[in-house]
Amino acid sequence: MVRRFSRLATAVAVAAFLSGNAAPVSVSAHHSFAVFDLTTQKSIDGTVKQVDWTNPHVWIWVDVPKADGGSETYGFEGMSPNFLARRGWSRTTLQTGMKVTVQYRPLKDGKPGGMLVSAKLPTGLLLTGGGAQQ
Amino acid sequence: MTDRSFGYTSLLAAGLAACATVLVSAQDWKTKSPTAAEWAAMAKLPDFTGVWEAGRPPGQAAAAGQAGNAQGAAPRGQGAPAQGAAGRAGGGRAGGAPAGPQLTPAYAAKRQELASRGAEDNETANCLPPGMPGIMGQPYPMEFLLTPGKVTIVIEAYTQVRHIYTDGRPLPSDPDPKFFGTSVGKWEGDTLVAETVGFSPLTQLAANTPHSDKMRITERFRLTAPDVMTVDTTVNDPEALTAPWTSSRTLIRHRDWTISEYICEENNRNYVDAAGKAGVKLDK
Repeated sequence: MVRRFSRLATAVAVAAFLSGNAAPVSVSAHHSFAVFDLTTQKSIDGTVKQVDWTNPHVWIWVDVPKADGGSETYGFEGMSPNFLARRGWSRTTLQTGMKVTVQYRPLKDGKPGGMLVSAKLPTGLLLTGGGAQQ
Repeated sequence: MTDRSFGYTSLLAAGLAACATVLVSAQDWKTKSPTAAEWAAMAKLPDFTGVWEAGRPPGQAAAAGQAGNAQGAAPRGQGAPAQGAAGRAGGGRAGGAPAGPQLTPAYAAKRQELASRGAEDNETANCLPPGMPGIMGQPYPMEFLLTPGKVTIVIEAYTQVRHIYTDGRPLPSDPDPKFFGTSVGKWEGDTLVAETVGFSPLTQLAANTPHSDKMRITERFRLTAPDVMTVDTTVNDPEALTAPWTSSRTLIRHRDWTISEYICEENNRNYVDAAGKAGVKLDK
């Protein structure tokens, strides 16, 4: 059930991104998704390093442990804070130090990061482009 | 001597007349201080106040909502101002094949040429606002402010403002090109009809589709339920279009929302370069 809901939320979030992008001149949240590999979805576990609650997009920076020790910082682009704040995801929902599981569309150039599909907290709270759902 | 002074006088008069003509044509309409009666008359206008966002009326099924948006024969093609917003809110598309604007051969060629460049993005990735008509189809809310002689639309996306003058002033005959053009409006019963001319060449009629300097946009705003507004948008452009292009959008009022700021330059990590290559800056 949770998994189904997760997929639905993901689908809604992606549909929100993509359908917005299909309209005139630029109806997307300001840019296309050319830099992301939309055919691929990856998942990583990490710790929130920083949250940029900023326009035109929120950026979630996550430290991900490396196999050989140390960690690497990934950057994930989400929707705008304006959009999310109206849908249950506030500036303080996600905070530095929180453990998260992130589903994302990776950057095509292979750099660490991508388009945020969802961030799931240990509490079960699921954060997507469509907002926050318990 | 007399002749000569008469000549100077004529010249001076002609010069003054020319100056006056220039001043009148270049100067905007002079606004008046609203009277108490004009303020009182505002109460008789339909209640457009509050924050609106594209969406579907509550309880309306997707198919019905889309059909309701389609407004009969109105084309709802890719690039239609209503398409993205309705699609975003509804998560779906209209049932029919996308029609889009019907372009003249010259503008069809321009669109093909632009599309063939294969740009991955447009300048909005660099925070340049889309202007009209695209700005009215963003997945962000807008607020209508009605005051005597003017309707102001505060648009959250890119923190933009449109000014629609309803004080009887004419449209300019030779407008400076602007992202939003220059708008005047009038009330036809409970419908606000806005006419807009004079658009910047940096704006596009639809995706990859330039407009001519003769583009004219007519918007009809009306309440179709207490918290539902229908906006019918018709684009006329005798050089670019073989027929007027009409689309319709449904806006939903959110009484518990306020307009937020959207400073695109705050933390924009996306970009598109001159060759149309899109990128993202992780280091900044």
